[in-house]
Amino acid sequence: MVRESAAAAELKGIRFAYEKDEVVLQGVDLRVENGEWIAIVGASGCGKSTLVRLLNALLRPQGGTVEVFGEELAESNAPLVRSRIGMVFQNPDNQFIGETVEEDIAFGLEGLCLERAEMERRIRVYARKLNVEPLLRRHPSELSGGQKQRCAIASCLAMEPEIVVFDEATSMQDENSRREMLNIMADMQARGGYTIFSVTHDADEMLAADRIVALKDGTVRADRSPGDFFADEELLRDCGIEMPFRLRLERELGRRGLIEAEAGRPASGSGSVSAEQTGDAGEKNTHAEKADEGGGRHV
Amino acid sequence: MSERETVIELKNVDYTYQAGSPFAAAALHDVNIRVRRGTLVGIAGGTGSGKSTLLQLVNGLLLPTGGSVSVLDHVLTPGMKKPRLNSLRRRVGLSFQFPEQHLFEDTVEKDLMFGPLNFGMPREEAQNRAAEALRAMRLDEALLKRHPLTLSGGQMRKAAIASVLAAGPEIVMLDEPTATLDSAARRELISLLERLCREEGRTILMVTHRVEELLHAADEWIVMHEGRAVFQGGPDELAGRAGELGGWGVAVPEQLRCWREWTSRLPQLSSLPMPRTAEEMAGAIERAVRGAGGSGGGPEREENLCATN
Repeated sequence: MVRESAAAAELKGIRFAYEKDEVVLQGVDLRVENGEWIAIVGASGCGKSTLVRLLNALLRPQGGTVEVFGEELAESNAPLVRSRIGMVFQNPDNQFIGETVEEDIAFGLEGLCLERAEMERRIRVYARKLNVEPLLRRHPSELSGGQKQRCAIASCLAMEPEIVVFDEATSMQDENSRREMLNIMADMQARGGYTIFSVTHDADEMLAADRIVALKDGTVRADRSPGDFFADEELLRDCGIEMPFRLRLERELGRRGLIEAEAGRPASGSGSVSAEQTGDAGEKNTHAEKADEGGGRHV
Repeated sequence: MSERETVIELKNVDYTYQAGSPFAAAALHDVNIRVRRGTLVGIAGGTGSGKSTLLQLVNGLLLPTGGSVSVLDHVLTPGMKKPRLNSLRRRVGLSFQFPEQHLFEDTVEKDLMFGPLNFGMPREEAQNRAAEALRAMRLDEALLKRHPLTLSGGQMRKAAIASVLAAGPEIVMLDEPTATLDSAARRELISLLERLCREEGRTILMVTHRVEELLHAADEWIVMHEGRAVFQGGPDELAGRAGELGGWGVAVPEQLRCWREWTSRLPQLSSLPMPRTAEEMAGAIERAVRGAGGSGGGPEREENLCATN
């Protein structure tokens, strides 16, 4: 699905250490095409968050290069590159600065030196897309976790980035908010054409991605489609990831000749035992159909 | 065997944040809960359902605005004179939702020693406790000398839990401790909690929004919804009320969802208790399929089964 010759992001031979003798990443190569959704997974401390912070030059590698849309990251172009990459973090409280949601979205936009009318337009458009219009005058402390996270995404998208990084953005959310977030992410990719990096431990989030990149011991241990990834039990064990119950059951039933679904692969559509499952991974088209039909860029 | 003693009892508890002010916000209404010593209790509920408020009442960080909270030998009531809670806090440890709230020293070791020293342990013992708690959380001892804020999200979470365990509380409460852990680390943490409970007789209360990870490890479940304790009972009883979980903002555990799908397809399964593993569930489904059609009916039943997918 390459839309431009240059990748959205390309990391070559990355080496990174916080302190001299504590190498976090070593020899990491990763190319992500425009419009792809990449899940970055692996055990705690394996360098997932470090990797995504290299993308927008929040951190600088000691070795190798980072290219974003074909441009190699350097001191001189870091601000421009940053404006093309938005980030949504685990704890939305760490992202709020303003007294109200509206001020908070405006705060980011002020940095872009936009005309007042354009700022107001963007606040309106993205608040509507993320369904936070009724919350614009509220103080962040009055919002639930899911509402805060939607506001954080609205702030991020109002900057009109092309790449959006979700760093464990669903991990603190309750079930309803988590599913809502997954729908938003799927819509963002399917309708908005965003390139998505999601750092996650959540199996549904991994299954919704195009590729799963697993880090281990500072390198890329695997870079596969969700289907291939979850079919490899040894790899899952190695990365500290548990196969979701439904896939384990499908695999067991497949072994016993009770269902047709290819053992261990996330069945999609008719082969699945997940008749009752809703809002689940692998249903991007369904999510996409729910997308806002309003003007401008889709969420 | 006599019933184990009650260590936590909430009677008709209400809690209102900023009570009496224009910003008053009720968080708990008429909550009645009883927890016996040495049990592992799971607490589920959506965002804002009152789970975290509940934990903070149990360790005396908050006083109820109605009813009474009895914890060990302390009774907390509305408007009481600020009680001396040092002994309660030593015996009841609380790991907060955000690990950053636990970590304020400049090394992990100092953070882990803070509780034990504060509760009057000699330095050497505090140091041993810190190392032991770190090992229990399967963190490398090299991290003891690191600044807590240089740890990864998952390591920080484990260090925060270790700082609670280091003080050796009788009642251990954890607010969404698995939220940012990978699944292997989640499983390890739950095994550790089971060990603390079964072998050392500690009472454990764990808030989670992933019921499935603790479904059967817990002796008991409490579900909070809009400030009320809408359910208290065992895992099987909770499984029996799966249909209500969604309305309470709680995800139906995947194994339960699978089991319900299969029991609706194969009604003969519905008299069985829910199998705990995928292997056992597949076995039960296989027996139901192969048994149902008699000795010669197996293959046809299989085809039918596939066709219904």
